[in-house]
Amino acid sequence: MFNILPQKDSNTGCNCDGGCGSETSADELTEAEFLKSRRGFLEKATTFMLGTASLTLLPASLVLSKEAAGTAGKAATGAGAAAIEQTPLYGFMVDTERCIGAGKCLTACRAENDVPEGFARTWVERYIHLKDGTVQVDTVPETGYADAGLPILDPDTIERSYFVPKLCNQCVDAPCNQVCPTHASITSPEGIELIDPELCIGCSYCVQACPYGIRFINPKTNNADKCDWCYHRITKDEQPACVEACPTGARIFGRLDDPNSEISKRLRKLPTSVLKEHLGTHPKLYYLDLPQEVI
Amino acid sequence: MKFLLDTKHLWILLALLVLGGVAAWEARSWMVPDTYGDLMGRYGPYRAAALEQIAARPSVIIADSVCHECHQDVEEERTDSKHATVRCIHCHGLARKHVAQAQAAAKSPDATIAPAQEWDGDPLTKIDLYITQDRATCLVCHEENVGMPEWFQKINVEEHLDDQGAEEPDSKETCFECHGGHDTAP
Repeated sequence: MFNILPQKDSNTGCNCDGGCGSETSADELTEAEFLKSRRGFLEKATTFMLGTASLTLLPASLVLSKEAAGTAGKAATGAGAAAIEQTPLYGFMVDTERCIGAGKCLTACRAENDVPEGFARTWVERYIHLKDGTVQVDTVPETGYADAGLPILDPDTIERSYFVPKLCNQCVDAPCNQVCPTHASITSPEGIELIDPELCIGCSYCVQACPYGIRFINPKTNNADKCDWCYHRITKDEQPACVEACPTGARIFGRLDDPNSEISKRLRKLPTSVLKEHLGTHPKLYYLDLPQEVI
Repeated sequence: MKFLLDTKHLWILLALLVLGGVAAWEARSWMVPDTYGDLMGRYGPYRAAALEQIAARPSVIIADSVCHECHQDVEEERTDSKHATVRCIHCHGLARKHVAQAQAAAKSPDATIAPAQEWDGDPLTKIDLYITQDRATCLVCHEENVGMPEWFQKINVEEHLDDQGAEEPDSKETCFECHGGHDTAP
């Protein structure tokens, strides 16, 4: 690059020792000569670089100003600083001591989400600890135990028994989300794992990845399907269908970011546990009084 | 001009780069779904429109507050009862037709509200309104079974009817001879 710089005479040029910056010599240069000079080149290059840099910053500043305007608008319409709309963070709590195994949540979920027969987004397990040390586990039939034709156990042989409702844990680090090859698995801003019906190809990687066995392939749509805590209800400030249908209040749903919500109060006061904590999935489904045998 | 002629190959290279960039941008907009990642990727690597699509589904299960808008007397009756947490839908069905008819009737006096139907099985799977005195409604929850917690009122029907000396133990409506539905006392 220095090769193309014009070689100037020592009395008129500016690339010689002590000659730079002298007004008389700069005035004598024509514009073309000035552009070809080292000083001219540096000035133009700096201007160009600054210009390009400001162009790249332009979209970001536009977005930022738009966001700032939106926040200001919301603050103005709200009653005060507390009224500013905040993306909610939802949590779920199951009180195993309250569950009576009526199965109302199961029929409600099926009616709400159009889940085909033979599949379930939520289910209730029954653990029976026998006095000989063995544990029997079955699931509550939707039609009730009377019609299920299960063998009736002698009450004298039973040490203890209880119900454990199961549904999506809505993990913070969800393994099912991470394996999706088409980005059809969504973590919504509310922290809910959803499935994009248009992008899902039904490869069932996520079905295998979920350590809780929540996902299944829906034969009606050939897409992966899962419990989404009734996203279509909670975004309308309604409770999920299973919570709405629980006759004993065993299922509690609410906002974790609201310190006055029922679930936040209980989380602060009572000892809770999550399923398969050692896997590091950080579930947002908390269990009260969960016996350690439950997996 | 000699300077420009010397750099002709650079201009060709630049033009190729620009063309390639345009082609890549076109290919991207063709292959990546609309609203994917949203503006500046604020929503993460997914199709942001899917959120609205999933949230737009209509709700099926009706909350008790909808029923209580008209039936305030039942709400008062249930408030201090043991059945305070039991939902309307458990015994009366999803009643979507009934709610729609009632909402229409509130607007125009000509609209009629169809009478409730007889119980047949689990009302949660039906969209009609049910009024029932069938004891199966009670026993769906209360029939004694392994696994139920200690606090819950478990009923072994035959034993219970024997204890109480029921006059018609085979009657379907036998529970309602002594107990109420909304207020369960005694």
